[in-house]
Amino acid sequence: MATFDTYGYVPLEPPSVEFAAAAATVPEQRMMRFLDQGNLLALRPDVTTAIARVVAQRYREARGALRLSYFTTVFRQERSMRGSEREYDQAGIELIGASGALADAEALALLCEALTAVGLRSFTIEVGHVGAVRALFAGLPADELETVLGHLRDADHVAAFRAAEAGGLSADRLSRARTGLAARGRDIEEVDLPEALELREAIHLARELFAGEPLWGTPDLAVIPALPYYTGVVFEAVSPHVGSPIAMGGRYDGLLTDRPATGFGIAVPHLHQALVAEGWSLPRTEPVVTLDGGSPRDVARMAAALRREGLTVALAPPAETAGRAVVGVRVLDEKKVEHGGRALTPAELARELRGGS
Amino acid sequence: MSAPLRIALPQGTIFDETTAALAAIGLPVAGLTGHRKLVVRDGGIEYVLTRPSDVPTYVAHGAADVGITGRDVLMESDEEVLELVDLGFGVCQFVVAAPAGSLHRSLDEYQHLGSLEVATKYPRVAQRHFDRRGIQVEIIKLGGAVELAPQVGLADWIVDLTSTGRTLRENDLAVVEEIATCSARLIANRASYARDRQRIAELASKLETWARARPASR
Repeated sequence: MATFDTYGYVPLEPPSVEFAAAAATVPEQRMMRFLDQGNLLALRPDVTTAIARVVAQRYREARGALRLSYFTTVFRQERSMRGSEREYDQAGIELIGASGALADAEALALLCEALTAVGLRSFTIEVGHVGAVRALFAGLPADELETVLGHLRDADHVAAFRAAEAGGLSADRLSRARTGLAARGRDIEEVDLPEALELREAIHLARELFAGEPLWGTPDLAVIPALPYYTGVVFEAVSPHVGSPIAMGGRYDGLLTDRPATGFGIAVPHLHQALVAEGWSLPRTEPVVTLDGGSPRDVARMAAALRREGLTVALAPPAETAGRAVVGVRVLDEKKVEHGGRALTPAELARELRGGS
Repeated sequence: MSAPLRIALPQGTIFDETTAALAAIGLPVAGLTGHRKLVVRDGGIEYVLTRPSDVPTYVAHGAADVGITGRDVLMESDEEVLELVDLGFGVCQFVVAAPAGSLHRSLDEYQHLGSLEVATKYPRVAQRHFDRRGIQVEIIKLGGAVELAPQVGLADWIVDLTSTGRTLRENDLAVVEEIATCSARLIANRASYARDRQRIAELASKLETWARARPASR
Protein backbone atom coordinates (compact mmCIF):
# COMPACT_ATOMS: atom_id res chain seq x y z
CA MET A 1 0.00 0.00 0.00
CA ALA A 2 2.94 2.32 0.67
CA THR A 3 4.14 1.73 -2.89
CA PHE A 4 0.66 2.53 -4.22
CA ASP A 5 0.90 5.79 -2.25
CA THR A 6 4.11 6.87 -3.96
CA TYR A 7 2.32 6.75 -7.32
CA GLY A 8 -0.42 9.04 -5.97
CA TYR A 9 -3.13 6.43 -5.34
CA VAL A 10 -5.68 7.11 -2.61
CA PRO A 11 -7.25 4.25 -0.64
CA LEU A 12 -10.92 3.46 -1.16
CA GLU A 13 -13.07 0.85 0.58
CA PRO A 14 -15.85 -0.24 -1.78
CA PRO A 15 -19.13 -1.63 -0.36
CA SER A 16 -18.86 -5.32 0.46
CA VAL A 17 -22.51 -6.10 -0.26
CA GLU A 18 -24.08 -5.51 -3.67
CA PHE A 19 -27.30 -6.36 -5.48
CA ALA A 20 -26.66 -9.77 -7.01
CA ALA A 21 -27.97 -8.66 -10.39
CA ALA A 22 -25.47 -5.78 -10.47
CA ALA A 23 -22.47 -8.01 -9.78
CA ALA A 24 -23.23 -9.96 -12.93
CA THR A 25 -19.69 -10.10 -14.35
CA VAL A 26 -19.08 -13.20 -12.22
CA PRO A 27 -21.12 -16.36 -12.92
CA GLU A 28 -23.95 -16.50 -10.40
CA GLN A 29 -22.99 -19.89 -9.01
CA ARG A 30 -19.60 -18.39 -8.07
CA MET A 31 -21.17 -15.64 -5.94
CA MET A 32 -22.13 -15.87 -2.27
CA ARG A 33 -25.73 -14.77 -2.37
CA PHE A 34 -28.36 -14.23 0.28
CA LEU A 35 -31.80 -12.68 0.67
CA ASP A 36 -32.42 -9.48 2.58
CA GLN A 37 -35.97 -8.13 2.75
CA GLY A 38 -36.77 -9.77 -0.55
CA ASN A 39 -33.68 -8.44 -2.33
CA LEU A 40 -31.12 -10.90 -3.62
CA LEU A 41 -27.75 -9.61 -2.46
CA ALA A 42 -24.22 -10.86 -3.04
CA LEU A 43 -20.97 -10.52 -1.15
CA ARG A 44 -18.54 -8.63 -3.39
CA PRO A 45 -17.11 -11.22 -5.80
CA ASP A 46 -14.84 -8.80 -7.68
CA VAL A 47 -13.36 -5.48 -6.55
CA THR A 48 -13.03 -3.83 -9.95
CA THR A 49 -16.77 -3.81 -10.67
CA ALA A 50 -17.51 -2.66 -7.11
CA ILE A 51 -15.12 0.27 -7.51
CA ALA A 52 -16.44 1.07 -10.97
CA ARG A 53 -19.91 1.39 -9.45
CA VAL A 54 -18.67 3.74 -6.72
CA VAL A 55 -16.89 5.84 -9.32
CA ALA A 56 -19.96 5.99 -11.58
CA GLN A 57 -22.01 7.31 -8.66
CA ARG A 58 -19.68 9.51 -6.62
CA TYR A 59 -17.22 10.76 -9.19
CA ARG A 60 -19.58 11.25 -12.09
CA GLU A 61 -18.57 14.88 -12.49
CA ALA A 62 -14.87 14.40 -11.75
CA ARG A 63 -12.54 15.51 -14.51
CA GLY A 64 -9.13 14.00 -15.06
CA ALA A 65 -7.74 10.71 -13.84
CA LEU A 66 -8.73 8.97 -10.61
CA ARG A 67 -6.09 6.87 -8.86
CA LEU A 68 -7.64 4.51 -6.32
CA SER A 69 -6.11 1.72 -4.26
CA TYR A 70 -7.61 -0.95 -2.03
CA PHE A 71 -6.71 -3.80 0.30
CA THR A 72 -9.88 -5.71 0.93
CA THR A 73 -11.62 -9.07 0.88
CA VAL A 74 -13.43 -10.74 -2.00
CA PHE A 75 -15.84 -13.65 -1.74
CA ARG A 76 -16.14 -16.51 -4.20
CA GLN A 77 -18.27 -19.60 -3.93
CA GLU A 78 -15.92 -22.56 -4.40
CA ARG A 79 -16.90 -26.18 -4.26
CA SER A 80 -15.78 -27.89 -1.10
CA MET A 81 -12.64 -30.00 -0.85
CA ARG A 82 -10.81 -28.27 -3.65
CA GLY A 83 -8.17 -26.59 -1.54
CA SER A 84 -9.32 -23.09 -2.44
CA GLU A 85 -10.50 -20.27 -0.25
CA ARG A 86 -13.91 -18.64 -0.36
CA GLU A 87 -12.85 -15.43 1.32
CA TYR A 88 -9.45 -13.92 0.61
CA ASP A 89 -7.63 -10.62 0.64
CA GLN A 90 -6.94 -8.77 -2.55
CA ALA A 91 -4.75 -5.70 -2.89
CA GLY A 92 -4.77 -3.55 -5.98
CA ILE A 93 -5.29 -0.29 -7.80
CA GLU A 94 -7.60 1.18 -10.40
CA LEU A 95 -6.51 4.01 -12.71
CA ILE A 96 -9.68 5.50 -14.11
CA GLY A 97 -9.92 8.17 -16.81
CA ALA A 98 -6.48 7.63 -18.33
CA SER A 99 -5.72 5.86 -21.58
CA GLY A 100 -2.68 5.32 -23.76
CA ALA A 101 0.62 3.55 -23.39
CA LEU A 102 1.76 5.65 -20.42
CA ALA A 103 -1.31 4.69 -18.34
CA ASP A 104 -0.86 0.98 -19.19
CA ALA A 105 2.82 1.30 -18.31
CA GLU A 106 1.97 2.94 -14.99
CA ALA A 107 -0.19 -0.02 -13.92
CA LEU A 108 2.51 -2.49 -15.02
CA ALA A 109 5.32 -0.63 -13.30
CA LEU A 110 3.34 -0.21 -10.10
CA LEU A 111 2.59 -3.96 -9.95
CA CYS A 112 6.24 -4.84 -10.50
CA GLU A 113 7.42 -2.27 -7.94
CA ALA A 114 4.85 -3.37 -5.32
CA LEU A 115 5.80 -7.06 -5.66
CA THR A 116 9.49 -6.15 -5.44
CA ALA A 117 8.80 -3.97 -2.38
CA VAL A 118 7.26 -6.85 -0.41
CA GLY A 119 10.40 -8.89 -1.10
CA LEU A 120 9.26 -11.20 -3.92
CA ARG A 121 12.35 -12.18 -5.90
CA SER A 122 11.55 -14.61 -8.70
CA PHE A 123 8.49 -13.70 -10.72
CA THR A 124 7.64 -12.72 -14.27
CA ILE A 125 5.02 -10.31 -15.51
CA GLU A 126 3.29 -11.65 -18.59
CA VAL A 127 1.76 -8.97 -20.78
CA GLY A 128 -0.96 -9.73 -23.31
CA HIS A 129 -3.46 -7.72 -25.33
CA VAL A 130 -7.12 -8.68 -25.68
CA GLY A 131 -7.38 -6.41 -28.74
CA ALA A 132 -4.52 -8.27 -30.42
CA VAL A 133 -6.23 -11.61 -29.78
CA ARG A 134 -9.42 -10.19 -31.27
CA ALA A 135 -7.43 -9.01 -34.30
CA LEU A 136 -5.90 -12.47 -34.76
CA PHE A 137 -9.41 -13.79 -35.37
CA ALA A 138 -10.56 -10.80 -37.45
CA GLY A 139 -12.56 -11.86 -40.48
CA LEU A 140 -14.97 -13.99 -38.48
CA PRO A 141 -18.58 -12.80 -38.31
CA ALA A 142 -19.30 -10.91 -35.05
CA ASP A 143 -21.22 -13.75 -33.35
CA GLU A 144 -18.60 -16.37 -34.16
CA LEU A 145 -15.84 -14.03 -32.96
CA GLU A 146 -17.58 -13.70 -29.59
CA THR A 147 -17.93 -17.50 -29.37
CA VAL A 148 -14.21 -17.90 -30.02
CA LEU A 149 -13.31 -15.26 -27.42
CA GLY A 150 -15.65 -16.91 -24.91
CA HIS A 151 -13.83 -20.24 -25.33
CA LEU A 152 -10.47 -18.47 -24.97
CA ARG A 153 -11.62 -16.82 -21.73
CA ASP A 154 -12.52 -20.34 -20.52
CA ALA A 155 -8.95 -21.36 -21.48
CA ASP A 156 -10.32 -23.88 -23.99
CA HIS A 157 -8.07 -23.42 -27.02
CA VAL A 158 -9.32 -26.62 -28.64
CA ALA A 159 -12.93 -25.39 -28.75
CA ALA A 160 -11.82 -21.89 -29.78
CA PHE A 161 -9.92 -23.07 -32.84
CA ARG A 162 -12.68 -25.50 -33.73
CA ALA A 163 -15.24 -22.67 -33.59
CA ALA A 164 -12.96 -20.44 -35.66
CA GLU A 165 -12.60 -23.16 -38.28
CA ALA A 166 -16.36 -23.75 -38.34
CA GLY A 167 -16.88 -19.99 -38.59
CA GLY A 168 -14.96 -19.98 -41.85
CA LEU A 169 -11.54 -18.61 -40.87
CA SER A 170 -9.07 -19.52 -43.63
CA ALA A 171 -6.36 -22.11 -42.95
CA ASP A 172 -3.79 -19.35 -43.37
CA ARG A 173 -5.33 -17.15 -40.70
CA LEU A 174 -5.94 -20.12 -38.41
CA SER A 175 -2.29 -21.00 -38.41
CA ARG A 176 -1.40 -17.33 -37.90
CA ALA A 177 -3.74 -17.21 -34.88
CA ARG A 178 -2.21 -20.43 -33.53
CA THR A 179 1.34 -19.04 -33.74
CA GLY A 180 0.21 -15.70 -32.34
CA LEU A 181 -1.44 -17.20 -29.28
CA ALA A 182 1.66 -19.25 -28.50
CA ALA A 183 4.00 -16.26 -29.03
CA ARG A 184 5.91 -15.25 -25.94
CA GLY A 185 8.90 -12.96 -25.49
CA ARG A 186 10.79 -12.08 -28.67
CA ASP A 187 8.38 -14.14 -30.79
CA ILE A 188 5.91 -11.26 -30.44
CA GLU A 189 8.00 -9.37 -33.02
CA GLU A 190 6.67 -11.85 -35.60
CA VAL A 191 3.08 -10.83 -34.83
CA ASP A 192 2.26 -8.18 -37.37
CA LEU A 193 -0.48 -6.18 -35.61
CA PRO A 194 -0.67 -2.57 -34.38
CA GLU A 195 -1.87 -3.93 -31.01
CA ALA A 196 1.36 -5.92 -30.63
CA LEU A 197 3.30 -2.66 -31.04
CA GLU A 198 1.07 -1.02 -28.42
CA LEU A 199 1.88 -3.84 -26.02
CA ARG A 200 5.63 -3.54 -26.58
CA GLU A 201 5.46 0.24 -26.16
CA ALA A 202 3.69 -0.21 -22.80
CA ILE A 203 6.41 -2.60 -21.60
CA HIS A 204 9.21 -0.26 -22.70
CA LEU A 205 7.65 2.69 -20.88
CA ALA A 206 7.00 0.57 -17.77
CA ARG A 207 10.69 -0.35 -17.65
CA GLU A 208 11.50 3.39 -17.70
CA LEU A 209 9.09 4.00 -14.79
CA PHE A 210 10.53 1.18 -12.70
CA ALA A 211 13.96 -0.21 -13.50
CA GLY A 212 13.71 -3.46 -11.46
CA GLU A 213 15.26 -6.54 -13.00
CA PRO A 214 16.74 -5.93 -16.42
CA LEU A 215 14.15 -6.59 -19.14
CA TRP A 216 11.24 -7.43 -16.82
CA GLY A 217 7.88 -7.76 -18.52
CA THR A 218 7.34 -10.52 -21.10
CA PRO A 219 4.97 -10.16 -24.06
CA ASP A 220 2.59 -13.13 -24.01
CA LEU A 221 -0.63 -13.14 -26.04
CA ALA A 222 -1.93 -16.22 -24.20
CA VAL A 223 -2.80 -13.98 -21.24
CA ILE A 224 -6.58 -13.78 -21.59
CA PRO A 225 -8.46 -12.99 -18.35
CA ALA A 226 -11.61 -14.96 -17.56
CA LEU A 227 -13.67 -11.84 -16.83
CA PRO A 228 -15.23 -10.40 -19.99
CA TYR A 229 -14.74 -6.67 -19.46
CA TYR A 230 -11.08 -6.42 -20.48
CA THR A 231 -10.32 -4.65 -23.78
CA GLY A 232 -6.63 -3.81 -24.25
CA VAL A 233 -3.29 -4.49 -22.58
CA VAL A 234 -3.73 -7.19 -19.91
CA PHE A 235 -1.16 -8.78 -17.63
CA GLU A 236 -0.52 -11.28 -14.87
CA ALA A 237 2.32 -11.93 -12.44
CA VAL A 238 3.53 -15.52 -12.24
CA SER A 239 5.80 -17.11 -9.64
CA PRO A 240 7.63 -20.38 -10.30
CA HIS A 241 6.36 -21.64 -6.95
CA VAL A 242 2.59 -21.09 -7.30
CA GLY A 243 0.20 -22.80 -9.70
CA SER A 244 -2.05 -19.77 -10.22
CA PRO A 245 -1.13 -16.21 -11.16
CA ILE A 246 -0.27 -14.02 -8.14
CA ALA A 247 -1.79 -10.92 -9.67
CA MET A 248 -3.78 -10.01 -12.73
CA GLY A 249 -5.18 -6.93 -14.33
CA GLY A 250 -5.39 -4.83 -17.45
CA ARG A 251 -7.33 -2.31 -19.44
CA TYR A 252 -11.11 -2.44 -19.15
CA ASP A 253 -12.46 0.42 -21.23
CA GLY A 254 -15.76 -1.42 -21.62
CA LEU A 255 -16.89 -1.38 -17.99
CA LEU A 256 -17.39 2.35 -17.41
CA THR A 257 -19.18 3.56 -20.48
CA ASP A 258 -17.49 6.90 -20.99
CA ARG A 259 -14.16 6.38 -19.25
CA PRO A 260 -11.06 4.41 -20.09
CA ALA A 261 -9.59 2.51 -17.16
CA THR A 262 -6.91 0.04 -16.13
CA GLY A 263 -5.90 -1.63 -12.89
CA PHE A 264 -4.82 -4.83 -11.21
CA GLY A 265 -5.46 -7.00 -8.18
CA ILE A 266 -2.93 -9.02 -6.21
CA ALA A 267 -4.28 -12.26 -4.69
CA VAL A 268 -2.68 -11.93 -1.26
CA PRO A 269 -2.80 -15.67 -0.33
CA HIS A 270 -1.00 -16.60 -3.57
CA LEU A 271 1.60 -13.88 -2.98
CA HIS A 272 2.12 -15.18 0.53
CA GLN A 273 2.53 -18.73 -0.78
CA ALA A 274 5.18 -17.54 -3.24
CA LEU A 275 7.05 -15.58 -0.56
CA VAL A 276 7.07 -18.53 1.84
CA ALA A 277 8.31 -20.84 -0.94
CA GLU A 278 11.20 -18.41 -1.50
CA GLY A 279 12.19 -18.77 2.15
CA TRP A 280 10.70 -15.53 3.38
CA SER A 281 9.95 -15.21 7.08
CA LEU A 282 8.53 -12.46 9.27
CA PRO A 283 10.96 -9.56 9.42
CA ARG A 284 12.90 -9.56 12.69
CA THR A 285 11.14 -7.33 15.16
CA GLU A 286 11.87 -6.15 18.67
CA PRO A 287 10.97 -8.55 21.47
CA VAL A 288 7.93 -8.30 23.70
CA VAL A 289 8.87 -7.46 27.32
CA THR A 290 6.74 -9.13 30.00
CA LEU A 291 6.73 -8.05 33.62
CA ASP A 292 6.80 -10.29 36.66
CA GLY A 293 6.81 -9.56 40.44
CA GLY A 294 6.42 -6.16 42.13
CA SER A 295 3.28 -4.46 43.39
CA PRO A 296 0.51 -3.71 40.89
CA ARG A 297 1.32 0.00 41.15
CA ASP A 298 5.04 -0.55 40.44
CA VAL A 299 4.18 -2.83 37.51
CA ALA A 300 1.83 -0.22 36.04
CA ARG A 301 4.40 2.60 36.38
CA MET A 302 7.22 0.43 35.03
CA ALA A 303 5.11 -0.61 32.01
CA ALA A 304 4.42 3.05 31.20
CA ALA A 305 8.12 3.95 31.62
CA LEU A 306 9.27 1.10 29.36
CA ARG A 307 6.73 2.06 26.69
CA ARG A 308 8.03 5.64 26.81
CA GLU A 309 11.41 4.13 25.90
CA GLY A 310 9.78 2.68 22.84
CA LEU A 311 9.60 -0.94 24.03
CA THR A 312 6.65 -3.28 23.50
CA VAL A 313 5.32 -4.34 26.90
CA ALA A 314 2.74 -7.01 27.76
CA LEU A 315 1.77 -7.25 31.41
CA ALA A 316 1.73 -11.06 31.48
CA PRO A 317 3.38 -13.58 29.13
CA PRO A 318 1.16 -13.55 26.00
CA ALA A 319 -0.23 -16.84 24.70
CA GLU A 320 0.34 -15.78 21.09
CA THR A 321 3.32 -13.67 20.01
CA ALA A 322 3.19 -14.03 16.20
CA GLY A 323 6.78 -15.20 16.17
CA ARG A 324 8.25 -12.39 18.31
CA ALA A 325 10.72 -13.20 21.05
CA VAL A 326 9.55 -12.76 24.65
CA VAL A 327 11.87 -11.27 27.31
CA GLY A 328 10.68 -11.74 30.89
CA VAL A 329 11.97 -9.21 33.47
CA ARG A 330 11.31 -8.89 37.23
CA VAL A 331 10.02 -5.58 38.56
CA LEU A 332 12.18 -4.58 41.58
CA ASP A 333 10.56 -1.22 42.34
CA GLU A 334 9.04 1.60 40.30
CA LYS A 335 12.48 2.67 38.97
CA LYS A 336 14.34 -0.59 38.34
CA VAL A 337 13.87 -4.02 36.77
CA GLU A 338 16.03 -7.12 37.03
CA HIS A 339 17.30 -8.56 33.74
CA GLY A 340 20.12 -11.08 33.39
CA GLY A 341 20.96 -10.81 37.07
CA ARG A 342 21.41 -7.00 37.00
CA ALA A 343 19.21 -4.12 38.14
CA LEU A 344 18.52 -1.78 35.21
CA THR A 345 16.64 1.47 34.66
CA PRO A 346 14.07 1.52 31.79
CA ALA A 347 16.54 3.40 29.56
CA GLU A 348 19.32 0.90 30.29
CA LEU A 349 17.02 -2.05 29.53
CA ALA A 350 15.97 -0.50 26.21
CA ARG A 351 19.61 0.05 25.21
CA GLU A 352 20.53 -3.50 26.22
CA LEU A 353 17.69 -5.11 24.24
CA ARG A 354 18.38 -3.04 21.12
CA GLY A 355 22.15 -3.53 21.29
CA GLY A 356 21.81 -7.24 21.83
CA SER A 357 19.73 -8.08 18.78
CA MET B 1 15.01 -23.45 -16.49
CA SER B 2 16.52 -26.76 -15.47
CA ALA B 3 13.54 -28.13 -13.52
CA PRO B 4 11.95 -31.09 -15.29
CA LEU B 5 8.69 -30.63 -17.15
CA ARG B 6 6.14 -32.55 -15.09
CA ILE B 7 3.49 -34.43 -17.07
CA ALA B 8 0.45 -36.03 -15.40
CA LEU B 9 -0.64 -39.21 -17.18
CA PRO B 10 -3.90 -41.10 -16.71
CA GLN B 11 -3.57 -44.70 -15.59
CA GLY B 12 -6.47 -46.59 -17.10
CA THR B 13 -8.10 -47.15 -20.44
CA ILE B 14 -6.27 -44.45 -22.39
CA PHE B 15 -2.84 -45.06 -20.82
CA ASP B 16 -1.49 -47.17 -23.69
CA GLU B 17 -2.64 -44.75 -26.36
CA THR B 18 -1.19 -41.89 -24.34
CA THR B 19 2.25 -43.45 -24.07
CA ALA B 20 2.09 -44.38 -27.76
CA ALA B 21 1.39 -40.73 -28.63
CA LEU B 22 4.26 -39.52 -26.45
CA ALA B 23 6.61 -42.11 -27.96
CA ALA B 24 5.53 -41.06 -31.47
CA ILE B 25 6.69 -37.48 -30.86
CA GLY B 26 10.00 -38.66 -29.44
CA LEU B 27 9.53 -38.53 -25.68
CA PRO B 28 11.16 -41.23 -23.55
CA VAL B 29 8.45 -43.64 -22.31
CA ALA B 30 10.38 -46.86 -21.74
CA GLY B 31 10.52 -46.29 -17.96
CA LEU B 32 6.75 -45.95 -17.60
CA THR B 33 5.81 -49.61 -17.41
CA GLY B 34 6.89 -52.73 -15.58
CA HIS B 35 6.87 -51.33 -12.03
CA ARG B 36 4.61 -49.60 -9.57
CA LYS B 37 6.36 -46.28 -9.16
CA LEU B 38 4.07 -43.26 -9.51
CA VAL B 39 6.72 -40.65 -10.26
CA VAL B 40 9.07 -41.51 -13.11
CA ARG B 41 11.97 -39.23 -14.06
CA ASP B 42 13.50 -39.52 -17.51
CA GLY B 43 15.90 -36.80 -18.59
CA GLY B 44 14.10 -33.47 -18.73
CA ILE B 45 10.69 -35.05 -18.13
CA GLU B 46 9.03 -36.21 -14.95
CA TYR B 47 5.88 -38.31 -15.33
CA VAL B 48 3.25 -38.42 -12.60
CA LEU B 49 0.90 -41.40 -12.87
CA THR B 50 -2.54 -40.62 -11.48
CA ARG B 51 -6.15 -41.64 -11.84
CA PRO B 52 -7.64 -40.09 -15.00
CA SER B 53 -10.14 -38.07 -12.95
CA ASP B 54 -7.32 -36.59 -10.84
CA VAL B 55 -5.24 -35.33 -13.78
CA PRO B 56 -7.06 -31.93 -13.95
CA THR B 57 -6.61 -31.46 -10.19
CA TYR B 58 -2.84 -32.02 -10.35
CA VAL B 59 -2.55 -29.64 -13.30
CA ALA B 60 -4.87 -26.93 -11.93
CA HIS B 61 -2.86 -26.73 -8.71
CA GLY B 62 0.44 -26.68 -10.56
CA ALA B 63 1.56 -30.02 -9.10
CA ALA B 64 2.01 -31.03 -12.74
CA ASP B 65 2.77 -28.57 -15.57
CA VAL B 66 0.80 -30.40 -18.24
CA GLY B 67 -1.39 -33.48 -18.37
CA ILE B 68 -3.34 -35.76 -20.66
CA THR B 69 -6.88 -36.80 -19.88
CA GLY B 70 -10.30 -37.17 -21.48
CA ARG B 71 -12.58 -34.24 -22.25
CA ASP B 72 -15.24 -36.15 -20.28
CA VAL B 73 -13.09 -35.88 -17.16
CA LEU B 74 -12.53 -32.15 -17.77
CA MET B 75 -16.27 -31.52 -18.17
CA GLU B 76 -17.03 -33.21 -14.87
CA SER B 77 -14.10 -31.71 -12.95
CA ASP B 78 -14.64 -28.00 -13.72
CA GLU B 79 -11.01 -27.28 -12.84
CA GLU B 80 -9.39 -24.21 -14.37
CA VAL B 81 -6.81 -25.52 -16.83
CA LEU B 82 -5.74 -24.61 -20.36
CA GLU B 83 -7.03 -27.01 -22.99
CA LEU B 84 -4.39 -27.02 -25.70
CA VAL B 85 -4.69 -29.99 -28.07
CA ASP B 86 -7.34 -32.51 -29.08
CA LEU B 87 -5.40 -35.77 -29.31
CA GLY B 88 -8.18 -37.57 -31.12
CA PHE B 89 -8.06 -40.89 -29.27
CA GLY B 90 -10.22 -42.22 -26.43
CA VAL B 91 -13.34 -41.08 -28.26
CA CYS B 92 -16.61 -41.52 -26.38
CA GLN B 93 -19.99 -39.82 -26.02
CA PHE B 94 -21.88 -38.45 -23.08
CA VAL B 95 -25.47 -39.56 -23.72
CA VAL B 96 -28.86 -39.47 -22.09
CA ALA B 97 -30.39 -42.95 -22.28
CA ALA B 98 -33.75 -44.43 -21.33
CA PRO B 99 -35.25 -47.95 -21.35
CA ALA B 100 -35.92 -48.75 -25.00
CA GLY B 101 -39.60 -48.40 -25.77
CA SER B 102 -40.61 -46.54 -22.66
CA LEU B 103 -39.52 -43.09 -23.69
CA HIS B 104 -43.11 -41.93 -24.15
CA ARG B 105 -44.15 -43.27 -20.82
CA SER B 106 -41.39 -41.45 -19.00
CA LEU B 107 -42.25 -38.21 -20.81
CA ASP B 108 -45.91 -38.65 -19.79
CA GLU B 109 -44.77 -39.20 -16.28
CA TYR B 110 -42.62 -36.09 -16.50
CA GLN B 111 -45.68 -34.04 -17.49
CA HIS B 112 -47.61 -35.38 -14.53
CA LEU B 113 -44.91 -35.38 -11.87
CA GLY B 114 -42.87 -32.44 -13.10
CA SER B 115 -39.54 -34.12 -12.59
CA LEU B 116 -37.50 -37.05 -13.83
CA GLU B 117 -34.98 -39.11 -11.90
CA VAL B 118 -31.63 -39.43 -13.62
CA ALA B 119 -28.92 -41.78 -12.39
CA THR B 120 -25.32 -40.98 -13.32
CA LYS B 121 -21.67 -41.14 -12.36
CA TYR B 122 -21.28 -37.60 -13.73
CA PRO B 123 -23.67 -35.38 -11.74
CA ARG B 124 -22.24 -32.03 -12.93
CA VAL B 125 -22.36 -32.90 -16.60
CA ALA B 126 -25.90 -34.22 -16.17
CA GLN B 127 -27.16 -31.24 -14.17
CA ARG B 128 -25.62 -28.72 -16.56
CA HIS B 129 -27.14 -30.48 -19.56
CA PHE B 130 -30.68 -30.58 -18.18
CA ASP B 131 -30.42 -27.00 -16.90
CA ARG B 132 -29.56 -25.91 -20.42
CA ARG B 133 -32.44 -27.91 -21.87
CA GLY B 134 -34.82 -26.52 -19.26
CA ILE B 135 -35.86 -29.95 -17.99
CA GLN B 136 -36.28 -30.41 -14.27
CA VAL B 137 -34.53 -33.53 -13.01
CA GLU B 138 -33.44 -35.11 -9.78
CA ILE B 139 -29.87 -36.38 -10.11
CA ILE B 140 -29.00 -39.65 -8.37
CA LYS B 141 -25.25 -40.08 -8.10
CA LEU B 142 -23.96 -43.64 -8.49
CA GLY B 143 -20.45 -45.04 -8.39
CA GLY B 144 -20.80 -47.18 -11.52
CA ALA B 145 -22.95 -49.73 -13.41
CA VAL B 146 -25.41 -46.93 -14.03
CA GLU B 147 -27.26 -48.90 -16.74
CA LEU B 148 -28.70 -51.01 -13.94
CA ALA B 149 -30.65 -48.15 -12.37
CA PRO B 150 -33.64 -47.97 -14.80
CA GLN B 151 -34.06 -51.77 -14.80
CA VAL B 152 -34.68 -51.90 -11.08
CA GLY B 153 -36.70 -48.71 -10.84
CA LEU B 154 -34.06 -46.52 -9.24
CA ALA B 155 -34.22 -43.91 -12.00
CA ASP B 156 -36.13 -43.06 -15.18
CA TRP B 157 -33.11 -42.10 -17.28
CA ILE B 158 -29.36 -42.28 -17.09
CA VAL B 159 -26.51 -40.05 -18.23
CA ASP B 160 -23.46 -42.11 -19.09
CA LEU B 161 -20.37 -42.39 -21.27
CA THR B 162 -20.51 -44.76 -24.18
CA SER B 163 -18.04 -45.58 -26.92
CA THR B 164 -19.64 -48.42 -28.88
CA GLY B 165 -23.14 -48.40 -27.36
CA ARG B 166 -22.89 -52.09 -26.62
CA THR B 167 -23.48 -51.89 -22.87
CA LEU B 168 -26.56 -49.74 -23.49
CA ARG B 169 -28.00 -52.20 -26.02
CA GLU B 170 -27.36 -55.21 -23.84
CA ASN B 171 -29.25 -53.57 -21.02
CA ASP B 172 -32.15 -52.57 -23.26
CA LEU B 173 -31.41 -48.87 -23.17
CA ALA B 174 -31.75 -46.45 -26.06
CA VAL B 175 -30.03 -43.13 -26.57
CA VAL B 176 -32.43 -40.20 -26.02
CA GLU B 177 -29.89 -37.59 -26.96
CA GLU B 178 -26.17 -36.97 -27.20
CA ILE B 179 -24.67 -34.44 -24.83
CA ALA B 180 -21.12 -34.20 -26.13
CA THR B 181 -18.42 -36.12 -27.93
CA CYS B 182 -15.23 -36.41 -25.93
CA SER B 183 -11.65 -37.36 -26.66
CA ALA B 184 -8.28 -37.08 -24.98
CA ARG B 185 -6.83 -33.58 -24.47
CA LEU B 186 -3.46 -32.08 -23.67
CA ILE B 187 -4.01 -29.65 -20.80
CA ALA B 188 -1.64 -27.21 -19.11
CA ASN B 189 -1.39 -25.23 -15.92
CA ARG B 190 -1.78 -21.51 -16.72
CA ALA B 191 1.26 -20.36 -14.77
CA SER B 192 3.39 -23.19 -16.18
CA TYR B 193 2.27 -22.30 -19.69
CA ALA B 194 3.60 -18.79 -19.16
CA ARG B 195 6.92 -19.63 -17.58
CA ASP B 196 7.75 -22.77 -19.54
CA ARG B 197 6.25 -21.68 -22.86
CA GLN B 198 8.95 -23.01 -25.13
CA ARG B 199 8.77 -26.61 -23.94
CA ILE B 200 4.99 -26.71 -23.58
CA ALA B 201 4.25 -24.99 -26.90
CA GLU B 202 6.67 -27.36 -28.63
CA LEU B 203 4.99 -30.36 -27.01
CA ALA B 204 1.56 -29.00 -28.03
CA SER B 205 2.53 -28.34 -31.61
CA LYS B 206 4.15 -31.77 -32.03
CA LEU B 207 1.07 -33.48 -30.58
CA GLU B 208 -1.22 -31.33 -32.75
CA THR B 209 0.70 -32.38 -35.87
CA TRP B 210 0.69 -36.02 -34.75
CA ALA B 211 -3.09 -35.98 -34.04
CA ARG B 212 -3.89 -34.38 -37.39
CA ALA B 213 -1.77 -36.87 -39.32
CA ARG B 214 -3.57 -39.86 -37.83
CA PRO B 215 -6.48 -41.40 -39.74
CA ALA B 216 -9.47 -39.39 -38.51
CA SER B 217 -11.28 -41.10 -35.69
CA ARG B 218 -13.22 -38.06 -34.55
